[in-house]
Amino acid sequence: PCRAQPKKKKKVDVKKEQAQKERMKKKLKKLEKAPPELIPIEDFITPLKYSESNRVRSLPALSSEESERRVLLLKKWCLFKQKQDEAEKKAIKALVESQQEALKELRLESEELFEAAIRRDEGLFPFERAGPSYTPPLPGYDPPEGKCVDITRVYTQ
Amino acid sequence: SAAAGRPWRLFGAMCLLRLPRITQPREKVEEEMAALMEQIELEKSHYSDHEIRKLEEEEQIKRKKESLYDEDEARGKAVILAKDLEEKWEQKFLQFKAAPRITDADKRNDRTSLNRKLDSNLMLLVKQKIGNQELWLLPQVEWQPGETLRSTAERAMATFLGDHIQAKVLGNAPYGIYKYKFPRAIRTENNVGAKVFFFKAFLQSSDLSQAELKADYLWVTKKELGDYLKSEYLKKVNRFLLD
Repeated sequence: PCRAQPKKKKKVDVKKEQAQKERMKKKLKKLEKAPPELIPIEDFITPLKYSESNRVRSLPALSSEESERRVLLLKKWCLFKQKQDEAEKKAIKALVESQQEALKELRLESEELFEAAIRRDEGLFPFERAGPSYTPPLPGYDPPEGKCVDITRVYTQ
Repeated sequence: SAAAGRPWRLFGAMCLLRLPRITQPREKVEEEMAALMEQIELEKSHYSDHEIRKLEEEEQIKRKKESLYDEDEARGKAVILAKDLEEKWEQKFLQFKAAPRITDADKRNDRTSLNRKLDSNLMLLVKQKIGNQELWLLPQVEWQPGETLRSTAERAMATFLGDHIQAKVLGNAPYGIYKYKFPRAIRTENNVGAKVFFFKAFLQSSDLSQAELKADYLWVTKKELGDYLKSEYLKKVNRFLLD
């Protein structure tokens, strides 16, 4: 009598525990199957304080001469950019033609030099260069000291 | 390809470019467009925190002048006005003196200096003896069997500027070619003329004081090339030079 009852309890308990574990596993699987939460892009969300009405600028309306001038300027700009683009393309074409001519002549001279010239230059890319600034660097300039604290929020999925 | 009996002599030449250090001046259209873009951006924008602060302070000052009830608010801390901050920043900016865009070398038109024409590409020209003439050319050296043309060009650069030059050669292929026949006096069946293959490189180090310059040299822009190079040579060189 003393031995039989605890045995039954164990069986029932074990079964119940197993059923519980399976239910938990199923719930976990369901949660994992759900698509992960998207990380918000902070640049695309305007904070609400910038949409208040007192923030709206009050400027005089555009006169017709001003809008006329703007339209004409935009047209001039369009033409200027088109000419610039055409000139660039022409220059690149001339560059390529000059190189093809040089390679043709080289081929007439010797095949091995030609092969050496056609080979890819592994050390060329990645090519990094700092662009030009408005004024040249000032020799012996001591920039003011300061500390930069990075407060970007990092999200994990 | 047999080495013997090749009628053309090969030369490798290097066009060493010093890239621009400052931006080119804007055209009139570009200036007007930039101003217009700024104006449109201003019109479409809202007030920033700093501007709101300025407006509120102006209101406060106006109210102070009309009625004197601001004693309660002005008690306590000394308020720094946004206007004062702006003046302080303006003063600090005026104290800074940037380096001039037009350098001394520009004013003297010293064509041997690298500090000239900081907004355009500068190319190296050296005076070399070809036949019995002294000519201004891109540094060139004759090709020797066993080396690629690119190494010939690099050797040409090293001959005139020393070994410690940091230059990035742009690829293994030549950019242009100049072919010329020798004058009839020296022309033979085996020695008709020469082909000069041009390579391009960007100068990486800005300091050439260590360079042992063994000949007359000049650093010139594309427009000034016409003053020194012969017309046929110039035509071929101009094809692979971007402005």
